[in-house]
Formats: sequence, structure tokens, C-alpha cells
Amino acid sequence: MMLLTSAHKKTTRGVAVAAAVVASALAVAGCSSGSSGTSASGASQITIFNGATGTIAENFNPFSPTLLQPTTGVIYEPLFYYNLAATAAPKPELATAFKWNAAGTQLTITTRAGVKWTDGQPFSAKDVAYTFNLIHKNPALNTSGLNATATATDDHTAVLTFKTKSFTQEPQVLGQTPIVAEHIWSKISDPAKDINKNPVGTGPYKLKSFASQSYSLTKNTNYWEKGKPQIDTVRYISLATADAASAALLAGQVDWMSAFLPNLQVLLNGHKNLTYVNTPALTTSLFTCANASLGCTGPQTDPAVRQAIYYGIDRTQINKLAGGGFAVPASPTMLLPARDAAWIANPADVTAPQSTDAAKANSILAAAGYTKGSDGIYQKNGQRVSMTVQVVAGYSDYISAISVMATELKAVGIELKSTQLAYNAWNSNETTGKFQLTMDSIGLGASSNPNFTYSPRYTTANTTKVGQVAASNGNYARYSNPSVDAAVAAAAATNDEATQKGQYAIVQQQIVRDLPYIPIYVNSTLTEFNTTNATGWPTNSNKYAFPASWKSWDNGIVLKELKPVK
Amino acid sequence: MRFYLQKIMFYVVAFWAALTLNFFIPRLMPGNPVDVMLSKLGAKGPVSPAARHAVELLLGTKTSQPLWSQYWEYLVRIFHGDLGLSVTYYPATVSDIIRQTLPWTICLIGLATVISFLLGIGLGQLAGWKRGSWLDNLLPITTMFQAIPYFWLALILVYLLSSRLSLFPLFGGYDVYGASPGLNFGFIGSALYYGVLPAFTIVISSVGGWMLGMRNMMVATLSEDYILAAEAKGLKPRRIMTAYAARNAVLPSLSGFAISLGFVVAGSIVMEQVFSYPGIGSALLNAVQNNDYALMQGIFLVITFSVLGANLIVDLLYAIIDPRTRARA
Amino acid sequence: MASITTLDPDIAVAGYKRRGSSQLLPSLTPKLITGLVLSGSIIIFGLVWPHFVGDPGKINDIGLAGPGPGHILGTTQTGQDVFSQLAYATRGSLIIGFLVGILAMILSGFFGIVGAYAGGLIDDSFALFTNVMLVIPGLPLVIVISSYVPDKSIYLIAGVLALTSWAGGARVLRSVTLSLRNRDYVAASRVSGEKVWRTLLVEILPNLVPVMASQFIFAIIFAILGEAGLSFIGLGASGDWTWGTMLFYAENGLALRLNAWWWFIPPGLLIAVFGAALTLINFSIDEIINPKLRDQTHSARKKWQLSKSELKNLEDVR
Repeated sequence: MMLLTSAHKKTTRGVAVAAAVVASALAVAGCSSGSSGTSASGASQITIFNGATGTIAENFNPFSPTLLQPTTGVIYEPLFYYNLAATAAPKPELATAFKWNAAGTQLTITTRAGVKWTDGQPFSAKDVAYTFNLIHKNPALNTSGLNATATATDDHTAVLTFKTKSFTQEPQVLGQTPIVAEHIWSKISDPAKDINKNPVGTGPYKLKSFASQSYSLTKNTNYWEKGKPQIDTVRYISLATADAASAALLAGQVDWMSAFLPNLQVLLNGHKNLTYVNTPALTTSLFTCANASLGCTGPQTDPAVRQAIYYGIDRTQINKLAGGGFAVPASPTMLLPARDAAWIANPADVTAPQSTDAAKANSILAAAGYTKGSDGIYQKNGQRVSMTVQVVAGYSDYISAISVMATELKAVGIELKSTQLAYNAWNSNETTGKFQLTMDSIGLGASSNPNFTYSPRYTTANTTKVGQVAASNGNYARYSNPSVDAAVAAAAATNDEATQKGQYAIVQQQIVRDLPYIPIYVNSTLTEFNTTNATGWPTNSNKYAFPASWKSWDNGIVLKELKPVK
Repeated sequence: MRFYLQKIMFYVVAFWAALTLNFFIPRLMPGNPVDVMLSKLGAKGPVSPAARHAVELLLGTKTSQPLWSQYWEYLVRIFHGDLGLSVTYYPATVSDIIRQTLPWTICLIGLATVISFLLGIGLGQLAGWKRGSWLDNLLPITTMFQAIPYFWLALILVYLLSSRLSLFPLFGGYDVYGASPGLNFGFIGSALYYGVLPAFTIVISSVGGWMLGMRNMMVATLSEDYILAAEAKGLKPRRIMTAYAARNAVLPSLSGFAISLGFVVAGSIVMEQVFSYPGIGSALLNAVQNNDYALMQGIFLVITFSVLGANLIVDLLYAIIDPRTRARA
Repeated sequence: MASITTLDPDIAVAGYKRRGSSQLLPSLTPKLITGLVLSGSIIIFGLVWPHFVGDPGKINDIGLAGPGPGHILGTTQTGQDVFSQLAYATRGSLIIGFLVGILAMILSGFFGIVGAYAGGLIDDSFALFTNVMLVIPGLPLVIVISSYVPDKSIYLIAGVLALTSWAGGARVLRSVTLSLRNRDYVAASRVSGEKVWRTLLVEILPNLVPVMASQFIFAIIFAILGEAGLSFIGLGASGDWTWGTMLFYAENGLALRLNAWWWFIPPGLLIAVFGAALTLINFSIDEIINPKLRDQTHSARKKWQLSKSELKNLEDVR
């Protein structure tokens, strides 16, 4: 009884109290304002949105799959840096030179002198050797399948000894392995599970503070590259949706982010300090379940149908309506025409046709024994050429692309239907081969060498029957071709580019004819920058790094090049 | 005594049923966490086919245990307070993630629900008392606010007040530049400031319901005999309104309030998406998208606890406050 | 977001008398007329208009364009006509709303009425089941079931929403039936040997009609809002057109950022207007359940044709 009486008297009082609290909060909040730019002491600061949503869990372990993105590249560094946005030789970071022996079983690395860890201890080749041995000894850390041991012959030389010929391991070993300190990690009991709260690295920044909604890094004053980095503090935040990200960008609260923002140019209109760069790197394709002998069913198991789709779509229109005009032409060899033209053997295979070639599509199907039914769709032996494309719900650009393709292919006589699935369902179907067509993309290998496109996606070793899980990011199309397998193996066995080119020419000839993955275009990777607080970002004419804010390794390179705006 | 025993037995049964559902339902989802994790990593950089083995070892997901023994182990672990390791935020434990995010959600939505309840009850009480006043016109308007999709209204308000007019912050739980978490004035002030707009949107979209319920109950109660008797005795109108009418009229609303407190976590998902508020709702969404069974189960457990707990408290309170409930049973 | 109702069993039962069917119909107040007109026009829009508009999914070169010739409500980011989408979306959302309403009504009617009338073990087990369903949080069920079935259609969403919303109504119906069961006329019909189903149909059900109607309307509002919320977080039937999926695509296409109000505002506005119209109808139904509410509003008072001083007297007593 007492409970209720007082509860009701408090009604009006309660409202008044709430109002007072809010008012005082607003007053107090006025004192605690802050934003990107210069902090109180005049130090320069930028804010990065790297795709983190929701709460942030602390994990600076560079070997963990759930690590916080700046750990690799900004706090810890690799031996060399491989730029995927342009053709360039690997850039020396913690190592200055490397050399293979003729058999491809020994890699000698010369490490850089004058590098210090952030706790003041000197860096040496012993740390490099320790890192590789650590990975080799702990299978849970070995995500690259490294099969080598390492020794440091002196303070500046480390030698990796592989069990088998391992030329193809080079970009992974040199460019994707974070080098850690022996004197710290030898004391860590469980290197796979440790969250490494106080990371000690060689990189341009070190951890300043961590909170579950944001963390910040401060510049490493002992960094080995003199005069770099120049920005004092780098802050990372978390945002829930692309809408929130674009709002933050337009309000000047984010300096660097990567998001496909529809109508980007319209959005940036009137914001003189906002700029963007487009580094297309992923070939958006229709993955087909191509191999009937491994269990695929449907019209797409016939190469003629796949070729008809390839010639039937109008890539210019798809780019305009779905890709925002930012996509660039793809190649049936699944390499990037702009960057990898040197690897493409046949000049006719450099780019896919950019407009519909209905005549060719029709002749291909007719030659394969298809006839047009009364509804305008081709059919053979009673089976209509009608296929379903699976796509992740919410990927609006993919969904629009499929919509456009469906209209274009209908004119050619092929029916395309689409189903939208949640990510996990879509992914599960893709890995187990339970699809006819699915929308996905290929790209971002360890380096621009074609091995990283052909080996995972086209070799029999990386595929399996429909119903079983194939190797991750592997040969989902269930493609199996002995000449391709042999050519890829031969190319991997040598370090000589000329030989490799010859072998890849064989691969390309096969896959351009078979088209288990039908390329649409090379999708844009848009990165937006705010030049109010920092300049020196990569530009469309100077792609010194792949600047996506979510990419590991390149983020360190970009941060090193930035200069604060006074 | 029998009444209380009955109630508690019921809640034990309900709790067990919820736990069982919580265990089985996530496992019905297609896909497995390892594949999802590798696929998402593959979109951002090279992932070699050998990575799968390493990640499986790491996450310990390769289990050939039969489902029933997993279920039993799950029940045992729950009662020891061990909710397991999260896959999405590996190697953080589920308890860590919940501890990080739950306070934000509870404080914000809990506070907003309480404000909304008190405001609604107060206004409903007045509307029921003063028949035919202008407050009656307020009623349809506030009830209509309830029919507006919450996120639509919130997005428009964010666009107008935060983007266009810059009156309120665009995202986050507190000012990450100026304030550091802890029991200091700057942090608390910042957290309150960042919570104003989300709380405001919650209040206007739910106050109508409380007001309507309270008004209708007031109208019903005001026709009772004891009100007439109180008037005849000559008591002040204000006293009759609060001590006699409202006290009895608020009972159904009180039970509804407790139930809605239980749904605080469930209702926070949409709010956190709109405001980029780092609460437990967004952790749940991430868990669902990554097939993170342990985290999903952990958060469902929290939701179940709060719903059941709130219901149990209300039932017990009702029995204390309203002796008729005890007699009726 | 609570939706407290007046459907506390105490109130619902208190006002009951045996009455003629004419008194079951609500009186035509301005509120009711507004509600019926608004909801009626939206229903007609959803049922009829999709036949007159073009293909909502047709992509066009125009891109994001405001209202103008050929596109009454402008276009989306890929040039699709917003007005056609709205027509199809209205139909989709209405289907979900009414499906959920009907399913929830059937389920709550079965578990509430039949259980309460039968009594004994059936009543106890139905009541236990209802209470357990009531306290188990619906959201996890909704999220997981909707991510379990890969190809989500509006029928699946409707089914899931109905499954998680019938329990509240069942509890109310049970309480009402329990009290009705003990009324004299029901006892009389039982004693006189009437069949069970006839008693249920003729004696009990008519008294429950206003309560069930009110629950039906609430279920529709809940379903439409629930579907919109689910679609917004990406767990809805994104392959079909509903108000929720339109808002989902508008949000993904950054409609507000790009000032494309014609894409973002209409679906949400229609949800709000439809919900408001249904709420107004519900007010009138409340007045049947609780006749004291009839005399509440100022407009009702005006009909009494009291003089100004008499009116003031009436209001000042309290």
C-alpha cells in the first residue's frame, strides 16, 4: 500500500526530476565536447571507421582471426609490403632483401638494422626466426599452412627452410606474417588465445587507450623511418550502418572510411574537403555449380549455357544501374586488366565484352542443340534454360545487378530468377555447392601473381563433391580440369616469371572456354577521405597503397604517408 | 503458501522450457561459425585453404559429441555461470561481452521506459479524472504515435535534429574524444547527453499505451461505490484521485510495466541500429549473423531471465498488493 | 514498446450483460468514421491499385529522381517507381497483418476459450502452455526461425509473428470465458441439455466478439510494426514488397542522406496512418466493452445538450 501512494505522488515529481537531470546533463556535456581534428594540446588526430559495428572486443593478438584490424600493419609490421592496387615490387619494411635457393626450399631474408620495439628493446633477425617457429609449432596459429622452420644465422639474417618447393608461399611469408618480439612472446603461455593487451610492436603507432566503443593509437616516437609518422593520434570508432557512416562522414566526424555509398558524387557535392578514391580489386562474378560429375544439377552445367550468359549480359548497363558507374571492365581470365595485363597471354582475353552480343549467345546455344520454346526461353530435352541465382539479402548493388541481368538475359532467351538469403545460409550453400548460380566475387590474393587466383579457385585439390564443404574461399564451382591442375602445379614449381606466364596461358585458355565463374565487372572499392585534418591520402592517380580502411597491412602504409593540416 | 509454491513451480517449468529452446534453436540455423568467419575474412584479404584447420582448432568447434550430451553439458555449465566463449569476439567470453554491453542497454532503455511509464500514468490519471478536458484530445495523438514504426520516427528525428540542426550527437554512447569511461562527471554527463535523443524517441513512441490503459482503468474505477463514499465523506478531490482511484487503477498497468521491462533487451536491437549505440542488441545481431551459438544463447538467457524475473516479481507483488489474487487462485 | 490494452479481464467482464445484437455495434462517432475511412482507403489501395501500376522492380536509367511526370512519388536509386512499389508494398503488409490477425485469433481462441470452457485437465494444461508461451521471449524465436528458413516469404514472416503473439490474447479470453461459464444463462443451457459446441457458439461467443475484435485489430498493428522492425534489421522477407522492405531498401540506399524524402517518408507514413486508423476503430470497440467510456469525451457531452452552467457544474464536481 505504501508503495503505491508514494509512487503516485512521485509521478509529477518524477517527471520534474527527470527534466532537471536532462538539463544538467546538457550543461555538463557542453564542457566535455571534443571531436576529430586537434585535441586540447594541439596534437593532430584523425578518426577512422574500419567497419566495426557494435561493441569492440579487445584483441591485439596478430595471429588471431578476430583481431582488431590495425594490429596487423599499424602496430605490427610484415617483412615486405605488397601493393595490390598497382604493379610494384614488394616494398621493404622490416626486411631489406630476400633470396630463394634454386630448389625453392630455402629463403634467406636480410632484416633491417636500427629498428626498435616500442619497449625499447632492439629488433633483430632472431625475432623473425622466432615468429616463424612459433607459427610452425602451433597449428592453431598456422592459418597459411606454413611448413617451414627458421633460424637466425646472425643478427641480420634469417633463413627459412621449407620441406617442399615453396615459391608460392613467398607473398604469404614476406607480406602477410606479423613479426613479433621473442622476448615478449616466449613468455606467453597460450599464444592462440592471448589478447595481448599491451602490444609491443615495431609499427608506426602503439596502443594509447582502449574502451569498448573506441580505441586510440599514438605515434611511435622510436619508429625506424625517420620523420614518420606525422599524425599524433589515430582513433577508431564503431558505427552500426552505412547510413550512420555517411552521416558521420558528411558531418566531418570521420576522416577515413570505406563504404560503397550509392550516389557518392551527389553526396559529396558541396563538401569541398571530402574526396574519394576508387581501387577496384574484386571481380564480381556469377559463380556457377559447373561440374555434373561432382553432383551439380541444372542448365548451367553445360558450358554452352555459361558462355551464352557471358555474351548475353550488357556490362555497361549493369555498371550504370547497379555499380554506380564505378566498376571497371573485368577479364574472363579473372585477373585485373588494369593491373595484370602482362599476365594475360591472349590479347582477346584482356577484357570481357562490355555490351550484349545477342547474336553470339544465340548461335552458341543453337550449336549446342538448344531450341527456343514458345515462351521465348531456350530449352533442350524438355529442360528449360532457367536458373536461380542466390544472393545475400541486403546487398542492394548485387540485387540490382541480378535484376538488370535477368532483364537482359530474357531478351536472349535465358531465364534468371533470384532468391535472397541471410548471409550464413548463403555462405553455407556456397561452400557445399548447393546452388545453381550464386553472386560473389574473386580477388585480393596475397599478391598480384595469378597463382593466388587460379590455385584456390580452379584446382581439383580445393574442391569436393556437392554436399560436402569445399576449402574455404576455394573452388566452389566444383571445377575439375587435369590440364589446369598440371599447369598450376608447374607454375608453382618455379620462380621464373617467363615459365609461369607460359603455364598460366594454358590455364587461361581452358578457363576462358569453360567459364566456371562468369565475370561481370571488377567492382569498385570506394574509400572516402576528409582532407580537413590530414593530407597525403592515396589518389586515383597515385595509388601507393590499397586504401580500404578495412584492409590489413596497407593501413600502416597510408598512415605513414599522412601529413597533418595546420 | 500453496499459491506461492504454484507460482514458483510454474516459473521453474517456464525457465527450463526457455533454456531448452535456447539451446536447440540456434543449432537449427544453417551454416557453421567457422565457414562464416573464414568467408568474411576472405572478403577482406587472402585466406589460404589451410586456414580452416587452424581456425577449427582454435575455436574448438570440431566436436563429434552427440547433441544430448552437449545439451547436458550446456545445462551444467549454465548453473556454474559459465556461458562459454564467443566466436565473433573470440577469445572474449560471453560473460565479458554481456558485461560490456548490458549496462548501456539497461540504463538507457530502462530509464526511458520508466520515464515513459511515469509520464503515461500521470497523464492517464489526469485524463481519466478530468473528463472531457483537452487531455482527451491528447489521447488519440499519443496513441497514434504508438502506431508509427519506431525506427522510421527515430531516423527522421536523427536526420533533422542531429544531422541538420546538430543539436544532438550522431552516434555512440558517449563522447569518445573527451570522456573516458569511469565514475567521473564528464563521462556521466556525456553519457546522459548522448542518451537524450534515443530516450526521447522511446518515450514518445510508448507513452500513448500507458496513458490509454490508465485512463480507461480510471474511468472504470471512478464508478465504483467506494469512490462515491469517499466523495460523500468530503475528502479533497485530489486525495480521492490519487489515494483511492489511481491506486486501484494502476494495477494492470503495473503488471504491463514489469513485463515491458522484461522486454527491454529485445526492444533495443532496432534502437541500437539507428543510433549506433553499443548495447546488447547489436551484440545479438552480430551473433546471429555469425552463427555464434554461445553468444546467442547467452544473450537469450539474459532476455529470458529478465522477462521471467519481471513476471515473477509482478506476480508476487500483485499477490501482496491485491489480496483478491491470492483468494482467486 | 508496450501495448497496454484495456483488456484486463476484470474490466472486460464487469460490463457484460446479455444484450441484443444491435447494441454490439459501435455508435458512429467522428473517431470511428475517420478510422474506417482511412483504413478502408488504404485497404482498397493495397488490393486494387497493384493492377494499375507498372512493375515495381523495373530498373530505369533515371536513377534517384523526385516526384514528376510519369513518377508520382519519384524513383528509387535504381530508377524504380516508388508509387508502384508502394502499391505492392501495401498489399504485402496488409496480407501479413490480416494473416497474423486471423491466425492469432484462431490460436488464442482455441487455447483460451475451448480450454476454459472444458475445464479440468484440459484447462490446466492449456493454461500452462499459454503462460509458458507468454513468458518465453518472442524475439529470439522470431530472429532464429526467420534466419533458419533460407527463402523467406511474407507467409513465413506472418506465421512466425502469429506464433509469438497469440499468448496474450489467449490469457484474456480464458479469464473472460471462465467468468462467463458461471453465468446463469450458460448454466441454464447446460442443464437443458444443449450440445457443447452450440453453447459455445450461441451463448459464449457473442459476448466475446468485441474483445476478440479488439485483439484482432491489435494483432494487425503489432504484425505490421513487427514486420517493419524485422525488415529494418535485415531479417525480413526482403524478396517481397512490404512497407518494411521498402524502408529497408530506402535506408540502405541512403534515402534520407540524399534528401530523397519521397522514398523514405511514404511507407512509414502509411504504416502510421493505417495504425492510427485501426487505433481509432479500437477506441470505438473499447466503448462497447466498457460503456462508461462512451460518456468520456467532450464531443459526447455536447450531444446531451446541457446548458453551459450545467456542463461546468458536471465537470467541476471533481
